[in-house]
Amino acid sequence: MSAAPILQIEHLSKQFRGLQAMSDVSFTIPAVSITSIIGPNGAGKSTLFNLITGYLPPTAGGIRFQGQLIGGLPTNRIAERGIARAFQIARPFRDLSVFENVRIGALFGKAGPRDVSATTDRALRLAAIAHLAARPASALTVGQLRHLEVARAIATRADLLLADEPCAGLNPTETAAMIEVLREVRASGVTVVLVEHDMPSVMEVSDRVLVLDAGRLIADGLPQDVAQDEKVIAAYLGSPEADDA
Amino acid sequence: MHLIAQTLVDGLVLGGIYALSAVGFSLIFGVLHVINLSHGILVLIGAYLALIFSQALQVDPLLTLPLVMAVLFAAGYPYQRFLIQRAVNQSGLGSMLLTFGVALMLQNVMIWLFSPDMKSITPGYAFASFRVAGLTFDAVRVSALVASLVLLSCLAMLLKFSALGRVIRATAQQTMAARLCGVNVPHVYALTFAVSAAFAGAAGIVIGIILPFSPADEALWTLNAFVVVVLGGVGSPAGALIGGLLLGIVSTLTAQYIGPAFPNVTMFLLLVIMLLVRPNGLLGNAFAASR
Amino acid sequence: MRRHHLLLVLGCAALLAAGPLALPPFYVRVGQMMLYSAALGVAWTILGGFAGYASFGHAAFIGVGAFAAGLIEVQFATLPPFLALLMGLLTGGAVCAILAAAIAYPILRLRGTFFAIAMLGVSHVCAELNNNVDALQGSLGLNFPPVAPDSVAPEAFFYELYLFAGLAVLLIAWRIRQSRFGAGLLSIREDEDTARMLGVPTERYKRAAFIISAILTGMLGVIYAHSLGYITTDSVYRDDTNLNLVVFSLLGGMGTLFGPVIGAGLLVFITQVILGRLLDFHLFATGLLLVILVLAAPGGALGFIRGWRRRRVQVPAE
Repeated sequence: MSAAPILQIEHLSKQFRGLQAMSDVSFTIPAVSITSIIGPNGAGKSTLFNLITGYLPPTAGGIRFQGQLIGGLPTNRIAERGIARAFQIARPFRDLSVFENVRIGALFGKAGPRDVSATTDRALRLAAIAHLAARPASALTVGQLRHLEVARAIATRADLLLADEPCAGLNPTETAAMIEVLREVRASGVTVVLVEHDMPSVMEVSDRVLVLDAGRLIADGLPQDVAQDEKVIAAYLGSPEADDA
Repeated sequence: MHLIAQTLVDGLVLGGIYALSAVGFSLIFGVLHVINLSHGILVLIGAYLALIFSQALQVDPLLTLPLVMAVLFAAGYPYQRFLIQRAVNQSGLGSMLLTFGVALMLQNVMIWLFSPDMKSITPGYAFASFRVAGLTFDAVRVSALVASLVLLSCLAMLLKFSALGRVIRATAQQTMAARLCGVNVPHVYALTFAVSAAFAGAAGIVIGIILPFSPADEALWTLNAFVVVVLGGVGSPAGALIGGLLLGIVSTLTAQYIGPAFPNVTMFLLLVIMLLVRPNGLLGNAFAASR
Repeated sequence: MRRHHLLLVLGCAALLAAGPLALPPFYVRVGQMMLYSAALGVAWTILGGFAGYASFGHAAFIGVGAFAAGLIEVQFATLPPFLALLMGLLTGGAVCAILAAAIAYPILRLRGTFFAIAMLGVSHVCAELNNNVDALQGSLGLNFPPVAPDSVAPEAFFYELYLFAGLAVLLIAWRIRQSRFGAGLLSIREDEDTARMLGVPTERYKRAAFIISAILTGMLGVIYAHSLGYITTDSVYRDDTNLNLVVFSLLGGMGTLFGPVIGAGLLVFITQVILGRLLDFHLFATGLLLVILVLAAPGGALGFIRGWRRRRVQVPAE
């Protein structure tokens, strides 16, 4: 994984009134990899995603995507650059069919409409929901909706997919299917960043793991190394020494 | 100087009445998240009932208050529970369209019953007035303002201290938690609506003694209530009071210094400025529910 | 709307165009009302149905369009009637576009019921200004020159004009629905935040839909004013129009292209033909219809038919 970085986070901070949600976090994400961001509740994982996708403006620091600063751009402009997000709590367009949901991703997203139907079909197949294309989105199960989120996101021709807990609450079969989809997405040339709580999935799928705690980056490395990192274990168990680290 | 003081006093009087007329709308929106477009017609029903009762019983219109409030309370409960609640379960616009439909029907009924003409309630002291520090106070307007403030305080106390008020506030803040604690949510919603309807009726009496009214006014009173809620914030008598007073003062200042024909224009400009500058209302959170 | 739908629409239009030849004048007037309402309903639905921004104040554009046209046409009284109408249409459309563009930014920040009621406010404010600013002649009233040729009965002329205008509006709405812009509007209706996240330029699209809807509504208002011959503020800024535009879609099927057409036909038929002699009942009947619709058929007539067809298709398959 020595490819050029696709995403560079530089001294990123975010403050909500009194709360320091993110302080001076820096890291880079190499292209075409799967990186997992883990950490206890309130560690700043969702804030990080919200900052990258333009939901929230950063208080300080920069976000560089493919070498260009994107921090503070409106959400739709960031999507046009090639970043897409799949939500944990799926937000499908309920009154539309699965096909139409994904097609809207293909119509918009990066660089406008090109090969819309081919892109749509590819995204449906990649996310393994081609057989559901005609169903109304409101008729899908929770697991299927997660696949739809991924399909719609990659239909935007995004180069970077941010996936919000794609495996949370899924049963083992569904989890295995989702992991397979994420690998397929990477194989198609898309960089994936996950926020995930489900440790076995993280260990299985990730090329690299970042650990956030209380808005700081406390570990960054290969999955097996991070799993044995003392600071990480302390952060998860809440030991007092970790606070000084 | 004297003119502006008199205008401000008139504005405060009008504002108190606007506040009372909007508080029911605000409560329903805050607790049930329903935009009650039949609010204006409930206000007018209050005014017409006061007219009938005060003539039939030969009493001061303000004395018909308990009776009018009781009638509207009794009508409001089933209206919410059996009609509006079913529309709420449908979709976002459902409850709004249903209440609009009811407003049209009732407006038509009132035209049949009372004719489309302007009516007014004239208490015995209609033309009395007194002067304090060079400012003129009509007896009617002062009694209307006092009645408004007393009623608003009563509602504030009811919400703050009574068991019903606690349940209403709890349901508004955490519907699911309230349900888990054994609160009968549909019952509370219906009671909240009934209380709101009763206060709308009370507002109708107060409006009736200072302004002429006709069935076609209902849209005006609904729109007024909406503006008051946007200005002051949702769900509390205090928000309604602030929004109402602001609207009252702006209306009278406009009528005095810009022209009597433009109260809606300034009201709307105020609304737009408010939405741009402070989209959550002066107090509370006016727009979370719409987002 | 697929190809066979297009043929169906053109067939219906040809049939409708022959209407004034066969129908007595009363029914031509009813038909005129239906076509005008249907065209308005489709213009409304570009914003209200596609983008999900249900306006309760579109009569504002009818009124503004009508008065803008009337005021400019008076200045050019010597023009032949056809050119006067054309100039009125262009002026009415342009002024509505400017008005919509001016209020789009603040008002489209509101969603759902807030947007709906704020638009009602816009309509009331426009009416009030129009009525009270003397130069706009709202309370005095405006005359429109007759545009129908002498050889054609006015009601037949306006019937055909509305039919033509209605087809034009329907075609525009259809093209929008099929386009990327239309798909973007649907995604805004479904979930605006998610749409933006997928790269839909939501602000620009909403504004465009609002302005297009306003222009079409305003131009229809111009034709309406000509068909009345004389207008005051009260005859164009009407609250029942504000409401009916919502009801058309609700009755026919919210968010669909043909919903407002069907809804307008039904509602005008109910109020003008069935309740034609019972003017006192109109408010009550409309209100009752609204209540019944919300409680019994929230998907409107089209939703009802689709649900029924879906059930019929699915039952033997399972």
